[in-house]
Amino acid sequence: MADNEPKILSFLCNWCSYGAADLAGVSRMEYPSNIRVIRIPCTGRMSPKFILAGLRQGADAVWVSG
Amino acid sequence: MITFKLNGQTVQGEEGQYIIDVAEQYGVEIPTLCNHKALEPAGMCRICAVEVFDGRRTRFVTSCNYPIWEGMEVKTDTKLVSEGRKLILELLLARCPETPAIRELADKYGVTETRFTKGADTCIICGLCTRVCEKMGARAISLTGRGIDTKVDTAYSLNTEACFACGACAFMCPTGHITLDRIKEHFTTHRAEPIKSEYDVGLQGRKPIYVPYAQAVPNTPVIDRDVCMHFKAGGCRICSEICPVNAIDHSMEDETVELEVGSVILSPGFEPFDPSGLDFYNYDHPNVITSMEMERMLSASGPTGGHLIRLSDHQEPKKIAWLQCVGSRDMNRCDNAYCSSVCCMYAVKEAVIAKEHAGDALDCSIFYMDMRTPGKDFEKFYDNAKNKSGVNFVRSRVHTITPVQGSDELELRYAAENGDIKTDKFDIVVLSIGLQIPPELIAMSRDLGIDLSPGNFCQTTTFDPVATSRQGIFACGAFQGPKDIPQSVIDSSAAASAAAEILADSRNTRTKEKEAVPERNVLGERPRIGIFICRCGTNIAGVVDVPKVVEYAESLPFVEYVDENMFSCSQDTQENMANIIADKELNRIVVAACTPKTHEPLFQETLTDAGLNKYLFEMTNIRNQDSWVHKNNPGLATEKAKDLVRMAVAKVAQMQPLEETELSINQTAMVVGGGIAGMSAAKSLADQGFETHLVERDDHLGGQAVNLHHTAKGEPVAENLAQLISRVTSHDRIKLHLNTGIQNVDGFVGNFKTILTENGKEQEIEHGAAVLATGAQPHTPDEYSYEKDKRIITSLELDEKFRQKDPSLEKINGAAFIQCVGSREPGRMYCSRVCCTHSIENAIELKHKNPDMNVYILYRDIRTYGEKEYLYKQARQEGVIFIRYTLEDKPKVEVKDKSIAITVTDHILNRPVELNVDLLTLATAIVPFADEKLANFFKVPMNEDGFFIERHAKLGPAEFATDGVYLCGMAHYPKPIDESIAQAKAAVSRAVTLLSRTSIFSSGTIAEVDPVFCASCGVCVSICPYNAPSFAEEGRNAGKAQINPALCKGCGLCTASCRSGAIHLKGFDTDQIMSQIFEMNEAV
Repeated sequence: MADNEPKILSFLCNWCSYGAADLAGVSRMEYPSNIRVIRIPCTGRMSPKFILAGLRQGADAVWVSG
Repeated sequence: MITFKLNGQTVQGEEGQYIIDVAEQYGVEIPTLCNHKALEPAGMCRICAVEVFDGRRTRFVTSCNYPIWEGMEVKTDTKLVSEGRKLILELLLARCPETPAIRELADKYGVTETRFTKGADTCIICGLCTRVCEKMGARAISLTGRGIDTKVDTAYSLNTEACFACGACAFMCPTGHITLDRIKEHFTTHRAEPIKSEYDVGLQGRKPIYVPYAQAVPNTPVIDRDVCMHFKAGGCRICSEICPVNAIDHSMEDETVELEVGSVILSPGFEPFDPSGLDFYNYDHPNVITSMEMERMLSASGPTGGHLIRLSDHQEPKKIAWLQCVGSRDMNRCDNAYCSSVCCMYAVKEAVIAKEHAGDALDCSIFYMDMRTPGKDFEKFYDNAKNKSGVNFVRSRVHTITPVQGSDELELRYAAENGDIKTDKFDIVVLSIGLQIPPELIAMSRDLGIDLSPGNFCQTTTFDPVATSRQGIFACGAFQGPKDIPQSVIDSSAAASAAAEILADSRNTRTKEKEAVPERNVLGERPRIGIFICRCGTNIAGVVDVPKVVEYAESLPFVEYVDENMFSCSQDTQENMANIIADKELNRIVVAACTPKTHEPLFQETLTDAGLNKYLFEMTNIRNQDSWVHKNNPGLATEKAKDLVRMAVAKVAQMQPLEETELSINQTAMVVGGGIAGMSAAKSLADQGFETHLVERDDHLGGQAVNLHHTAKGEPVAENLAQLISRVTSHDRIKLHLNTGIQNVDGFVGNFKTILTENGKEQEIEHGAAVLATGAQPHTPDEYSYEKDKRIITSLELDEKFRQKDPSLEKINGAAFIQCVGSREPGRMYCSRVCCTHSIENAIELKHKNPDMNVYILYRDIRTYGEKEYLYKQARQEGVIFIRYTLEDKPKVEVKDKSIAITVTDHILNRPVELNVDLLTLATAIVPFADEKLANFFKVPMNEDGFFIERHAKLGPAEFATDGVYLCGMAHYPKPIDESIAQAKAAVSRAVTLLSRTSIFSSGTIAEVDPVFCASCGVCVSICPYNAPSFAEEGRNAGKAQINPALCKGCGLCTASCRSGAIHLKGFDTDQIMSQIFEMNEAV
């Protein structure tokens, strides 16, 4: 991965954003591959601990979407 | 397998393969112009020439059609090869000096100029076009002439019907010699134009094999027989040759299938009105579009990606106009006299979205006759569009759209409200086209023997709103009348209920039970993880290096088995997977494939079939979120796939078998409210075999319907109501509770306990579901001198006079109606939906009593939606005078001795006129009972107006978000009788999906409290939107939080909010998500 690309960890809500990410694939859109998705049942599940853990593990950005 | 040497490297290929194919597999590039995978090679362009050493001598061969053989030595990178290619390119360049494809290739090999005499052709006579034409079965073109006269041509150089203008030749042509224009001019006698995408309303093309739209069910491609060359010319079949699973069978034919059914539901829909016949709209102008085209353009998945453009020059528009009622409310220019019901609302929506997208500078104007937004929350949307979004609303029917000469603009000339003639120019004009029934549905209805309405919609009655004129056949959706999504959804559930009422006895008679496989106990076992990686044909394997991912996965901890599948979801793979799980004693499974949103349940079923708890599973998405979106980066996509698999493995190792709690369902229902809606619901439930308690606060049944005279279709209400009441009271499965209040409600879906106070006596009933149909009542006006004079009455009071045949009605010389009394104004910003139709009906009735009577209707917008529009027309024909007023300038009422004087500003004369009448009817708003106590009992929400809020405005219009509680009638929103009955049946249909089962299973992925850590703070109890947590009242853990598995939706809000860490969300617990995060450090 190129050095200037931020490493992004994302938490996507199963009901909306995760489905939207699927649809991006169905529509054959393209985006950089430096993103890792963790599916969560709802952004209500999101805990600050997950964000901190992600940053500590080396992610440059954490994206929560729902 | 044949082994040979390619540029010194030992390579392998299948017998019968050509050099170029094997070279491609090994990443050795060989240029070609005339070769295509779908066709047999011909070695025409010679550019693919390579050196072959056969042990004795070196030969120069075309690699595209030279088959491989054991021990051969191929060289593609020698000086000789390069020199040879250069010479060929020089010759090609001489023939086609200006052809970009040739120039580009020549440049690549360093050939900039040719030594030979230059021609001016664009064709290199490679014959790809003629070969594909032959493959198609058309054989319309061939290489004609000899020597230097050789060219691609049709027989005798004549346009021929043998050419179907399929475009395959143009698609194949490597130099761009053959174009669509050439096909049109020189080859074909057929119409040559791209196939238009139906879904994108022709705004872009589609292929003969296509998925109709992204959300299509089933989501598989279809072949359009009308344009497929195989069905036209007998050839092609390239698709079936290429399909790796042989799914394509061109010999399949339509079959006639005979089904024995007890009932038929018709939901064939409508067609949008085609405005091309109305030449004054100039629909053939690129900037005149229909609302359907606008919808696609505004869609993020549409042809412009949601970006608004003017089609003539692809510039961003600055001004857009919508013209309403195109193909609706029009007898002169088309035959659709009805109102299409949905166009006002969609035009407002499109204008608001357009402005949201393009910004405030975009000028949006809607030209309309009456703004009809009578649906729930629609009036507020209209008000916001006007006052917040800044959409212009112009009350005017525009006759003609005139293209502006020398510009892409369109001119509208129209009469403003004050009568002034204005002209204005727009970049785009959107025609808000109406709904109509296509001729084939009219024919179908004739064949089925069902009656149609004057507008060709399916004829139904008010008291049986989804039944056609033929017994056992039901109708729903726009086929029954122009309507929007919520109403269509209501009708469809209602039709299902109506069908179930007559088929109740056969419920579950053809149900087959699946044999359950006993679940293996894996508790205490060390994880033995099995990983199945899907190739998805080439969808995944074409980008992601699947074997590498497999190899990597094998190295992960606890992994016992890894395999790749061509299609993991195919039935044989599923069976194979179940066998492997059992054989290898796997106790955790990962599937790396497409999306869990569609395929997780399928794989979980496979686990169940293999005797494994279905929650010992994790799916990771290496298709939709990997191979499809990183197709140009196979290396990075492969790395991402490895990471995703590793994260899934880490999580699945943490998974525990989860239990799905079985909840028994009490198959009894309670209906609250004994009006038309409540009674219809109770009757439908009882007819479908369910014991039903019908609870009514009054001492009689009937609700507001007892006050109504007749329906919009002219049916007498009293008679029909009496019939319904008698059926309900005599039904042996309905237990009637009159004079009854609700004291308390306990429990949850399937298990409610309700305490009723019937005639002052308390009584507890148990029921599994509840339908709330508490209705609404008329607003009591505090304006227009109501209650100051007995000649000023409300609509329901006028109905009462009609029903009582009040003699005073005979003596009236003038009557007036004032509309929107209490509706559509601040504080009650909603339209009461029924009043326009109601007043018009009564106005006509008065006219019938005395045709000389002056009858006035003072209105703001006449909202006779659907086929109720005929009444409006009839009223005008019979001489009812309609005078419009505005909210800012309401009519003034003065009570005089001999008359009631109403002063109103006439919208045509633009000056006040005084009307003297003997009777003034106020069309009062409908206000809900807004029973907050009841709402709290069932934990269901109400909006600011006091109407209940349904689960989903469009898709869940007859049910609440709270499981087991349903709604219908005017407690949801004001509505006429037919819509109330339809919604009642719809609510029942939804309730029966629950009541028809003896038990349901909760999901396994729900929250659970560890009482040891619970601090009883109550955050979970207050935060949960589904009321699942509560404080335990008794037992060891009294005072601690507990979660009702029946109500928990597994969202995790409580888990994230619990400050003591006492709540665990099973399947998405902190440890499990953390393990995914921890495995990421290698990943990103």
